[in-house]
Amino acid sequence: MTWHITPELARSYADGSAAGAPSSSVEAHLLACDACRALVASEAPAGRLDAVWAEIQEQVDAPRPTWVERLLTRLGVSPADARLLSAAPSLQVSWLLGLVAVLAFAAAAASSDERGLRAFLLVAPLVPVIAVAGAYGRRIDPTYEVTRSTPYPTYRLLLLRVVAVLSVSVALTAVVSLFVGAGWMAMAWLLPSLAMVGVVLVLTRYVELPVAAGSVVAGYALAVTAMVPRNEVDVVALAESTQLVSLSVAVACLAVVVLSPARRAAFRRLP
Amino acid sequence: MSPTVVVNDVTKRFARTQALAGVTVEVSAGVTGLLGPNGAGKTTLLRILATVLGPDSGSVRTLGLDPADARDRTRIRRSLGYLPQEPGFQRGFSVFEFVDYVAILKELTPARQRHDEVRRVIAAVDLTSVSGKRVRALSGGMRRRVALAAALLGDPQLLVLDEPTAGLDPEQRLRFRELVSQAGEGRAVLLSTHQTEDVAALCHHVVVLHEGLVLFRGSPSELAQRAEGHVWFAEDRDPSARIAWRTGDGSHRNLGDPPAGVVTVPPTLEDGYLLLVGARDEEAAA
Repeated sequence: MTWHITPELARSYADGSAAGAPSSSVEAHLLACDACRALVASEAPAGRLDAVWAEIQEQVDAPRPTWVERLLTRLGVSPADARLLSAAPSLQVSWLLGLVAVLAFAAAAASSDERGLRAFLLVAPLVPVIAVAGAYGRRIDPTYEVTRSTPYPTYRLLLLRVVAVLSVSVALTAVVSLFVGAGWMAMAWLLPSLAMVGVVLVLTRYVELPVAAGSVVAGYALAVTAMVPRNEVDVVALAESTQLVSLSVAVACLAVVVLSPARRAAFRRLP
Repeated sequence: MSPTVVVNDVTKRFARTQALAGVTVEVSAGVTGLLGPNGAGKTTLLRILATVLGPDSGSVRTLGLDPADARDRTRIRRSLGYLPQEPGFQRGFSVFEFVDYVAILKELTPARQRHDEVRRVIAAVDLTSVSGKRVRALSGGMRRRVALAAALLGDPQLLVLDEPTAGLDPEQRLRFRELVSQAGEGRAVLLSTHQTEDVAALCHHVVVLHEGLVLFRGSPSELAQRAEGHVWFAEDRDPSARIAWRTGDGSHRNLGDPPAGVVTVPPTLEDGYLLLVGARDEEAAA
C-alpha cells in the first residue's frame, strides 16, 4: 500500500469537515488499513463517536411508525400524537372493517327504494357516534389505568381520538353515501351525526365516553321508534328544520367543549 | 427526612363495599410492603396513591402536594411510576412501542431523548433482546417486566407497584425482587403483595391491611415478633392451635397459644401476619 491517510486528513475526516471526495477515499482506504483505522480512531472526538453511535442505534431499533401513524403524520399530526391515536381501538383494522360492513348493508338497503333510503338516513348518523364510543374508555383502552396516572391530559387524549375516529367514520359513511344514488339527500345524516357527537363530548364531563355515547344512541333510537308509528320519520331524516337544529346543537356543543375553563388543559401546548 | 406519602384517615366506598375505612399510613424512601388478604383494600389504596381514584374522605399528601388539586395532581404524576395489578397492553405494540407510548403519556420529549429513556428502562428490566417483539408474544413474567419498565420511565420519586410478583415463577420472582430492590434505592416504593417472602426479602417497613383498616405498621421483624412464643412444632395438629399445617418433614407447625411445656420456635414474618389476620377474623366471627 503506497498511500496512507495524513494526520490532517484524519482529523478533518474525524470531525466531519473533510469534503466528499477525500472522505470517500478515506472510507475506501480504512477498509484495508489497520494503521490508518487506528489513526482516525485516535482523532475522533469522543462526543462525536457517541453521537454517531446513538444515531445508528436510533435508526436501527426505534420503532417504525405503523400505517395509521404514517398517514396521520402526513396529515400534519405530530409523531407523538400519531402514536397515541394509533392505539385507539376504533381505529384498528378490525373495527374499520366492521364499520364498512355495516355501512355496505345500509347502502344496499338504501339503494332498493325510498323506504330504504329513509332507513339509511336514520341509521347512518349513529355510525360515527358508535365509532366515537370506541375511542377511549375504562373497558375499551387496555392502558386506561396507567394513562390516568400520567400527567398527559385525559381530555386531550379523548379529544384527539374522537377527532381522528370521527374523521375516519364520517369519511367512510360519506363515501358509502355516494353509492346510495340520492345525490346530496344521501348526506342528510351528517349534521344530526355531528350534533350527537357534540352532545356526547359535552356529556363526557359527567360520564365516561362509552356511557355518554350509549346514552345518546339510546335517546336517538327511542325518539325514532316513537316517530315510526306516527309516520313522522321524514321529520327526523330529511326536514330542513332538523338540519338547522342539528347545526345549532353541533356549534353550541363545540363552543362548550372549547370554551369550558375545566377543559383548558386539553388544549395547552405540551412540553 | 419527611415522608414521601402521608395518608390520613382515608375512606373509600364502592356501592355497598367499604374498601377503606379510615386508613392512616406514611411511606418514606425505601421499599414499603402492603400486606393483606383479598378484599383488604390494598388495590384501592394504591389506586388512590397513583391518583387514579380520589378518596371519599380523609387527606393524602404526596411529595408535599395535594392530589385533590388539579395542578398538584399533574405535578405528582410527573414524579410517579405505577404498575397496576393487571397491566394492559395495546394490541399489536412491540415492547419498545408500548414503553414509548407510555413515555409520550409521561410527556417525555423530544423524541430522541425519549427513545434513549425507553432504551434505558428496557435495559433495566433486562428486555433489550426482545424490545422489537410484540408484547402479546411474551410470557406473563416478561409482560410484568415490560409494565415495570413503563413504570420506571422518567426516574420517578414514587413507585406504586400492585402485586408485581403475582403469577411469576420462582426464578422470575427473584429477578423481580432484584429489580424492585434496585428501584427502592433513593426513592419510595410501595409494594402490594400476598407474598410474605417478598416483604421479608425487600421491605424496610410493612403495613397490614384488613377489611379496609390498618392492622399493623412497623418493620418486618416487628411483625414477626408478634408471633414470638406462639409457634411450636408437634407430631400432630395441636387442638389449641389457631392455624396448623403439616410441613415437609411430617411434623406440624402450630400457631396460637401453646400448651404448657412445649418448646416454641423463632417466628417468621408469615407467622406474625397469619396470627394477626387470623385473630382479627376470629374477633369478627365472635
